[in-house]
Amino acid sequence: MQKIYLFGLNHRTASVEVREKFALTNFNPLKEGLISQDGPITEALVLSTCNRVEILCVGSAAQEDVENKVLNTWAGFCAADINLLKKNMYFYQDLGAVEHLFTVASSLDSMVLGEPQILGQLKDAYRKAVKEQTVKVIINRLLHKSFSVAKRVCTETAVAANAVSISYAAVELAKRIFGDLSKHRAMLVGAGEMAELAAIHLLNSGVQEILVVNRTLERAQELACKFQGKAACLDDLQDNLLTVDIVISSTGAPSTIIQARDLKKILKKRKHRPIFFIDIAVPRDIDPDVNLLDNVYLYDIDDLKEVVEENLANRKAEAEKARMIIKQEVDKFAQWLKSLDLNPTIVDLLAKGETIAQRELKRTLRGLKQDVDEKTYLAMETLAQSLVKKLYHEPIMFLKRRTREEENAQKFIDLTRRMFNLDNEHIPENAHKDRKR
Amino acid sequence: MISLRIFDLGIALLYFVAAIQVLAGFLFRQKKLQSLGNYLTVAGFGLHSIDLGLQYFFYFKETLVQSQFYFSLLAWAFLLVFFLLWFRLKLKFLSLIAAPLALILFSSSLAISPKVIPIPPRLSGLWFALHIGTLFISMGFLAMAFGAGIAYLYLEKKIKTKSRLSSFSKDLPSLTAFDRANHLAVTWGFPLFTVGTLSGFIWAAFTWKKIFTWDPKEILAIIIWLLYAYLFHQRLALGWKGRKPAKLAIIIFVLTVISMLGVNFLIPTHHSFKP
Repeated sequence: MQKIYLFGLNHRTASVEVREKFALTNFNPLKEGLISQDGPITEALVLSTCNRVEILCVGSAAQEDVENKVLNTWAGFCAADINLLKKNMYFYQDLGAVEHLFTVASSLDSMVLGEPQILGQLKDAYRKAVKEQTVKVIINRLLHKSFSVAKRVCTETAVAANAVSISYAAVELAKRIFGDLSKHRAMLVGAGEMAELAAIHLLNSGVQEILVVNRTLERAQELACKFQGKAACLDDLQDNLLTVDIVISSTGAPSTIIQARDLKKILKKRKHRPIFFIDIAVPRDIDPDVNLLDNVYLYDIDDLKEVVEENLANRKAEAEKARMIIKQEVDKFAQWLKSLDLNPTIVDLLAKGETIAQRELKRTLRGLKQDVDEKTYLAMETLAQSLVKKLYHEPIMFLKRRTREEENAQKFIDLTRRMFNLDNEHIPENAHKDRKR
Repeated sequence: MISLRIFDLGIALLYFVAAIQVLAGFLFRQKKLQSLGNYLTVAGFGLHSIDLGLQYFFYFKETLVQSQFYFSLLAWAFLLVFFLLWFRLKLKFLSLIAAPLALILFSSSLAISPKVIPIPPRLSGLWFALHIGTLFISMGFLAMAFGAGIAYLYLEKKIKTKSRLSSFSKDLPSLTAFDRANHLAVTWGFPLFTVGTLSGFIWAAFTWKKIFTWDPKEILAIIIWLLYAYLFHQRLALGWKGRKPAKLAIIIFVLTVISMLGVNFLIPTHHSFKP
């Protein structure tokens, strides 16, 4: 009976120092001896990111054996104290492990709920494991399933919807207003970290060009070079407002640098094309009254923060829905695990039957000596094979039915294995002497 | 005509199912349902075109004097405009208004008693065809501008007041897309409307020997034309964008609906659809 185990550290259970100490980058389960010929573990997958280190493995040995093996190998690889690992670690088994993996893949366990990076990291880890040939039937199936669960969670819930970073929220808003950004230019007024981040997001969303305006032209040129855009001096701000559609402002100016009354004139010259201001400076750079003008939209840092917080709250609400989906999928996976137990039994049963058929065929042929031509031989072979298949048909159907209908069909599978002695056990004559009367 | 009426009911049913699917698909964010609804609209439009063609060729005399034919034609013109815009601009959201509007107009064309309208002779003249055709297509444009205008005002208010966007409004296109629909309604719709109104007056001069008869519909048409001309000028010359043209387009469309339905049915006029 194969069991699934999951050992791990994450940002909730362990501090950064501990996670760093037990990181498993470039860990190869085969080379490090986690999987060996007759060891307790048959399949393993290692996920190591900055927020989590996890080992997923499958084996039929007892839990202690697997645990000892994993923890010793892990601590040994990292040359760190095994007790420290034990103190910070979490452990899941079987369906618990499946549920945890689905939760991780769907990004419900991430530091920022719903951020999709983890799925990519999990895919990389899986790709590596496939290359190193450390995964087989169960982990293969489990990982493919977890990718599809993540996809389902993404499409059926809004866990990953809505920006949860300020710069990204600004870009989302720009898209609400302009749609396709490829025909629009953006302008950075002043340079700050957040403004740069927003500029990068804008470029990724296909904005046509970035114009950098700064008090010192040199700094502006430096930044413009980074975004392959243009640079201009702060004195030309008014002129530049005629041609740009998105303005991200973050200067350290003590008072507002763009006034509503100036903008009114500019708007007329712009033929009222809409313009979107993102003011992330404190104190503010842009007169709040510009928001009252038609075709002008202004969001300041507080507005954006509010958007982000709302979105985060929304994600949390959606996470509940996602957990329901995961529960369903875990049930489905459990079903599959069950049928997995049935299938080898069927295979064994048929294999056994075939061996018997071949053996009896040979024996009969020996008795007949050379009197058999090819046609008769083939007919006899077919007869023997189909006799076995017909005989085993009913028991197999019975097992399949039980597995579909009952929770603990395992006992029937167990019974079948014993009845047909599929495991080739030697049973002594007086095995159950006490039961006989 | 009986078989054609059954055919009509089939078309109405298609539009009905399409409208429901498109709306439900949008509300429940089911892309498949939406596109299925769109296919049904296309199918309905195809049958509708055949239907109109058959009516025109086989029952030429009866058809042209029946009010229901004009309503059916109007519904058809709406969809024609919708498909044009859809094809050119990929403004998918238009299907939200197109299918339901076509349904309403087409089914009301079925509901109208097929009595004969007293239309004077020389009806099949070029001027009359021009009058009806251009006016109906420009009304199609106006209907689109109406729908886009309402969506624009809703979305713009949400963004301006920084209020939360519902999942419904997240699927809406951008403000610019709605404004572009308005732009098209102005640049294409206004010239058509002008031609339609002018040809009406010219036709009137032929049939009634009078250009202007102080008919309520004619007065309203003049008012609508003036408003439309104002919108045309402001939009193209002064570069009006956004809220103002959206609002104006909504007002103009409402007025055209009043002139189409209210005046024709309620007030005695020679444009009346009543016998």
